Amino acid sequence: MDGTSHASGEAPGAGSGGSGGHVVPDGAAGVMAAEVMVAGNGLAGEDFTGPGPARGFDGDRLFRGLVTASGIAVLALLGGIILVMVAGGMKAFSTFGPAFLVSSVWNPVTQHYGALAPVFGTIVTSTLGLLMAVPLAFGAAFWLTQMAPARLSAVVGMAVQLLAAVPSIIFGMWGFFVIVPLMARYVQPFARHWFGHVPGLGALVQGAPFGTGLLTGGIILTVMVTPFITAVMCDVFTSIPAVLKESAFGLGATRWEVMRNVILPWSSKAVVGSVVLGMGRAMGETMAVTFVIGNANKIGWSLFAPGNTIASLIALEFPESPAGSVKLSSLMALGTILMALSFLALAASRILLGFAERREGRQ
Amino acid sequence: MSGTVVTERAVSGNGVAGNGASGNGVAEKPAISVRNLDFFYGDHKALRGISMEFSTRKVTGMIGPSGCGKSTLLRVLNRMYDLYPGQRATGEVIFDGRNIIAPGMDVNRLRARVGMVFQKPTPFPMSIYDNIAFGVKLHETPSRSEMDGRVEDVLRRVALWGEVKDRLKASATALSGGQQQRLCIARTIATRPEVVLLDEPTSALDPVSTARIEELLDELKKEFTIAIVTHNMQQAARCADQVAFFYLGELVEMDSTDRIFTAPRETRTQDYITGRFG
Repeated sequence: MDGTSHASGEAPGAGSGGSGGHVVPDGAAGVMAAEVMVAGNGLAGEDFTGPGPARGFDGDRLFRGLVTASGIAVLALLGGIILVMVAGGMKAFSTFGPAFLVSSVWNPVTQHYGALAPVFGTIVTSTLGLLMAVPLAFGAAFWLTQMAPARLSAVVGMAVQLLAAVPSIIFGMWGFFVIVPLMARYVQPFARHWFGHVPGLGALVQGAPFGTGLLTGGIILTVMVTPFITAVMCDVFTSIPAVLKESAFGLGATRWEVMRNVILPWSSKAVVGSVVLGMGRAMGETMAVTFVIGNANKIGWSLFAPGNTIASLIALEFPESPAGSVKLSSLMALGTILMALSFLALAASRILLGFAERREGRQ
Repeated sequence: MSGTVVTERAVSGNGVAGNGASGNGVAEKPAISVRNLDFFYGDHKALRGISMEFSTRKVTGMIGPSGCGKSTLLRVLNRMYDLYPGQRATGEVIFDGRNIIAPGMDVNRLRARVGMVFQKPTPFPMSIYDNIAFGVKLHETPSRSEMDGRVEDVLRRVALWGEVKDRLKASATALSGGQQQRLCIARTIATRPEVVLLDEPTSALDPVSTARIEELLDELKKEFTIAIVTHNMQQAARCADQVAFFYLGELVEMDSTDRIFTAPRETRTQDYITGRFG
C-alpha cells in the first residue's frame, strides 16, 4: 500500500494508470511496486508482467543462455567423441569385418589385427578389480560411517580421499616395484603349490612366475578403485536421514541389520552408481595397468599369465601407428569398443536397479 | 536443586491421584521408574535430577518448551542416545526390575520392548508388508502364515487394514503422511513392546490424521504403557492420563492431567499451559 502511494506521489507524470490500473491487496504487491519504482523510476503505472525495459543488464537472460549452452555442450561433446572414434575405426571394421571382434591376432607384420585379446584382458582385469574392490570399499565405508570412533573416522576418511587423488602413474610404479615382486616371489608359487593340482583351479595358476599378469593388473585396479568407491559410498551412507536410521534401531535392529535392510535399499541407486563409476575407471585405466599387466596379446585361463587391456595396448601402440594405417584405425576401433563396453556397464546397472526396485515395490 | 524436591512430591501425589482415577484401588507397579536421572550431551547437562514414574497402561504426556529435555528423556528410555558418542546418562531407569542405563543391557532387546514412533513418519524403503515384517523378523522367526496374521492384526489395530489390504506389496513411501505414521505405529507394536514412546507423533500431520492417531492412543493404552511428547496442550489434555511439565532440563511438576490443567501447583506450569511463555 505504502509503495503504491509513494510511487504515484513521486511520479505524477506516470500517475494516470497508477491508482486505477492496479488493485493492490496486500503488502507484497506494495513491495513490488516499490521495487519497480526504484528500478524504473517513474514507471509505476506500467505493466509489471513484461520484461522491464529500464533494466540495462539482463542477468537472468545471460544466466539462462550460459546454462543452456553448458547443457548442450555436454551432448555435443559426447556426440563428437563417438563420431570421431567410429569414423576413425571404420577402416578397421571394413577391412576385417565382424572377425575383428572375435580374432585374437595382433600382427603388425602381416597387418592383421583383432580385438579379442585386449577386450578379454580389459574385462578380466576390471572384473577382478571390482570383485576385490567392492567388498573392501563397502567394508571400509561401513566401518567409517557406522562404527569407527569420530576422530579415527576423520583421519581415515581423509586418507581415503587422498588415496583417491593419487595419480595413476604413481600406482603403476608402486605396483611395478612392490606388487610385481610379491606376486612373483610369494603369491604365484604359493598358489601353484596349493591349487596347481586341483582340477579346474590348476589352470588358473599355471605359467612362469613373471609377477606381471592379469591378476596383478586386477590388484592394482583394486588399489586404485577402492578409495574412489569408498568415498562415494561414505557420502551416500552419511546422507541417510538420521531419523530413518533411528527408526530401525528403535525396533531393535543391530548396525548390520540397519545397514542391510534400511541404509542399503535406501541408497541402492547411489551405491550401484559408485560401483559403475569405479568400473568405468577400471576399464579405462591405462598407465598403472600398462606397468604390471605384461603386455602380451594372449588369451588363456591362467590369472598369472601376461595379458593386455584395450587402454594399455592403445597407449603402447599408438606412437608406432602411422596416420591412415589400418593399425591406427584398429586402435580407434578398439577405443570405440571400450566406450561401448562402458556404456553397456552403465545400461546393465540401470536395468539391474529397475529389477531391484520393482521387487521392492517402489512403483 | 529445588526441582528434585518438587519432583518427589509430585510423584507421591500422583500415586494417590492415579488410584482415584482408575478406580480399581490396586496401585499397579509402574512400567518405568526414573530415579535421579542426569543426562549430558558432551559437557552440556540436558536433564537434571529427573525422578518420575510411567504408570503401566496409562498415557503419560510430556510437555514443556523446546529444548526443555522432554525428547531427551524419551531417548533415554530406549537408549537411543547410545548411537551417538559423547551422550551419556547417569542415575537409574528401572524397567522390568533392571536399570536399563547400566552397562551390560541388551540394547537391541530393550528397544524391541520399548518401541518408539518419531515426529516425522519414517517408512522404510520397502513394501508396506515388509515394513512390519522387518521388525518382527529381527526377534522372532514366525512362519509365513503367522507373519501374515501378525501384519493383518497390527494393521487392523491402527485402522489401516481397510486402506492397504489390497496393496501390501506396494511401497510404503507411496502412502499419505497420516497413513505412513499409522504404519510406523503398527510397525512399532508388531514387535509386541510393553512401552511405546511417541515423540510429537502428530506435529507433521493434518488435523484429520491427528485425530485418528489420538483415537488410536486410547485403544493402544489398553495394552501398552505410552509416553508421548507433545507441544500441543489440547493433545496432552485429550490423550494423557498424567502429565509431566519440563522446563530447562528439570521436571517441574507431574500430576494427573486434570490437576495439571486445572490446578497446577507451580506458577511456571500455570504460565506455560496458559501460554504466557514457551
